Amino acid sequence: MSAFMPSLRKVMLGCTVLAGLSASPVLAADVTPERLLNASQEPANWLTHHGSYSAQRFSTLSQINRDTVKGLKVAFTMALGGIEPGGIWSHGGLEGTPIAMDGFLYVTDGWGSVYKIDVAHGALAWKMDPKTDRDWAGAVACCGVNNRGVALWGNMVVSHTLDGRLIATNRDTGEIAWQRAVADPDKGETVTGAPLVVKNLAITGVGGGEYGIRGWLAATDLTTQKEVWRTYTIPTKGEPGSESWSGNAGAAANGGGPTWVTGSYDPATNMLVWGTGNPGPDWDSAHRPGDNLYTDSALGLDLETGKIKWHFQHTPNDPYDYDSTSENVLVDAQVNGRPTRLALHANRNGFGYAVDRTSGEFIWGTPFVKKVTWTAGLNAETGKPAEYDPALPVQKYNAAVTPSRTNRVSDICPGNMGGKNWQPTAYNPGLQRWYIPVIESCNRITVEETKPGSWKAREFFTGGGPSQHERITGSITAVDVTTGKVTGKAETQFPQLGGLLATPDLVFASQPSGEVTAYDAKSLDKLWEFKTGGGVSAPPMTFSVDGKQYVAILVGLGGAWDKWFIESTPELKKVQTGSTLYVFAL
Amino acid sequence: MRRALIGAGLLAMWAGASALAQDPGARRVAGEGKQIYQRANCVGCHKWHGDGGGGYGGDALSLRKSELTRDQIIEVLRCGRPGTGMPYHLRGAYDGDECYGLTREAVGKDMPIEGKTFLRPSEIEAVTDYVIASLQHRGEPSYTDCEAFFGAGARTCNVYKTAAATPSGGTE
Ligand code: HEC
Repeated sequence: MSAFMPSLRKVMLGCTVLAGLSASPVLAADVTPERLLNASQEPANWLTHHGSYSAQRFSTLSQINRDTVKGLKVAFTMALGGIEPGGIWSHGGLEGTPIAMDGFLYVTDGWGSVYKIDVAHGALAWKMDPKTDRDWAGAVACCGVNNRGVALWGNMVVSHTLDGRLIATNRDTGEIAWQRAVADPDKGETVTGAPLVVKNLAITGVGGGEYGIRGWLAATDLTTQKEVWRTYTIPTKGEPGSESWSGNAGAAANGGGPTWVTGSYDPATNMLVWGTGNPGPDWDSAHRPGDNLYTDSALGLDLETGKIKWHFQHTPNDPYDYDSTSENVLVDAQVNGRPTRLALHANRNGFGYAVDRTSGEFIWGTPFVKKVTWTAGLNAETGKPAEYDPALPVQKYNAAVTPSRTNRVSDICPGNMGGKNWQPTAYNPGLQRWYIPVIESCNRITVEETKPGSWKAREFFTGGGPSQHERITGSITAVDVTTGKVTGKAETQFPQLGGLLATPDLVFASQPSGEVTAYDAKSLDKLWEFKTGGGVSAPPMTFSVDGKQYVAILVGLGGAWDKWFIESTPELKKVQTGSTLYVFAL
Repeated sequence: MRRALIGAGLLAMWAGASALAQDPGARRVAGEGKQIYQRANCVGCHKWHGDGGGGYGGDALSLRKSELTRDQIIEVLRCGRPGTGMPYHLRGAYDGDECYGLTREAVGKDMPIEGKTFLRPSEIEAVTDYVIASLQHRGEPSYTDCEAFFGAGARTCNVYKTAAATPSGGTE
């Protein structure tokens, strides 16, 4: 421990770059902590990554509704950049959620350039190019050249780059005010998520679960540009949870547990709720006996200190690459007649979970995919997989299909992409329906035994790999959060790689083959569709300017799919690389 | 007919390969080979250092440790390898019997995937010679190898300069 921390801190602080930031006067249009806290009370704007701190991705705007959506047309498009190759990637792509404020959109491309766009004129106000070191970062990005968007704070636009920087850009001029290195690609760390800004803190999550990183969350004080806390998702020896890493391979040092999807925030408890990713090596679970805390978990963390207050682990000693990185949606609902403060999470392992977001206590769990083979189901009391045995160093689950050193080639359902991946869910509070963008999949896992000491900086550390032996499709699946029961499923030809938006009447979704689609929120009937002619791997959002409602979405197939999983969706091979913003209105 | 043609090209290249170190023309070929290694996305699966490795892509074999001869490498690049993730790069491969004497029909579901770009015979030879000269039998990737690929001072190469010997985060 001691040898590690000081050198890390030096890297982090040494790279701080200072430039003229006037540290305060609050202008009329400044984004204050109060505005961010009450983001859902400004439906004309979409101020934070998931629309609000609750991550519901719900908008009350209803000019575009069940009756009018048929008339939805392109208002304007804008060609963006960021498709350059780098590292092991032949092109970049788009996975970002646009941010909207006072008639302007702020979007990113995969290499982290930020674009400010004037909606009324369909015009580019400025572009900030962070000049990401493409080979350095692209060589250790498991799953594409990705950047999921910006955050607003004061008069700054706050963003990340794949090569690990946090950047504050002047919102008026597009000039970089300051930047600091938060993650280190030399260790296999990258950053793809949008920052979460709460009060004066920017929270950064890290990627690198396939490269043997030790995951963390870091908070940067935007007023001092200094790091105020960094919480490792894998505890140091002696800390609670460290006993869940046994064996003598020293596995915890490279144990994974990344945090690459933007989390949520609960003002009532002043807690962040954040998901963590798979333990590493992904498929060789015998290398890391024990439950491997806090990988594959939802964490409740104190905002001010980063201290972990509670955790709920979905897949202990995970042998499947079933990350829990994706968002936790904060919802208040009556469950079995009892008012409950829920955190909802749709896991790669095929189950949707509701836990009490003040304590992490399990409330309900339900399979949302058509096929689950790795477990018989969840224990109704604990929410753990039925076969989970805390006495076992290496979990077997349904041993017949579980990848292991004795079961070297096996087919698992869901496949390792899920289930459901980073693509965000959406929640309709009126209907109390939670919509999940589903990857209906199985795939084949081949296990390779990891030799102790075989970890190498910047090389894959996965203990095997997946391949695609059958077709993968998708669906939009609705769950009633008061019962935890699936209420509907709209099947899609391809996996859901873009994520969802909910409005009072509608659910907006996309297809990697290029369609943007609106479904009826109750029946999930398809009401409207537009073919962009590109490939979509980004979530839709909505906002309004001068009383006119818009829906915006980035079009340009990115992410892991077209490199690693395309054989399961052969028709998508013909989708061309592109990079375009689409904005729709009536 | 086609086989004879390729045979002739082979002979010419053998001569070229032995002269590689001195002959500026040969060095140009090596530069072209490296370009193709990137453009045809060999780098995406085998990595810049050719060692390949596991991960989401399954197992691209190590070209550094490959025991294949020049002709065998050429054949693998032209035809891919049925039933594995190694793509073919020859336009029209498996239309006739130029690949292992097999047609598309005969290979069936083991048909290799199509490369990102097709390569002309001369390009296949150029990238083969790059593999032989710069990757095959070169041991562990070094800082010098890395700079040769990415250019002097590339940050990508840092780990080979400093941390190469440090096995892990060093926590325990
Ligand atoms: C989509 C991933 C992918 C791409 C792109 C790719 N390869 Fe491969 N390659 C593989 C895999 C996987 C294997 C191992 C096949 C096997 O298991 O026999 C392989 C095997 C090889 C072999 C045989 C090695 C041996 O010792 O048997 C050579 C040579 C080779 N590749 C060279 C190249 C070159 C040169 C390129 C670029 C023109 C390239 N490959 C592009 C995945 C790829």
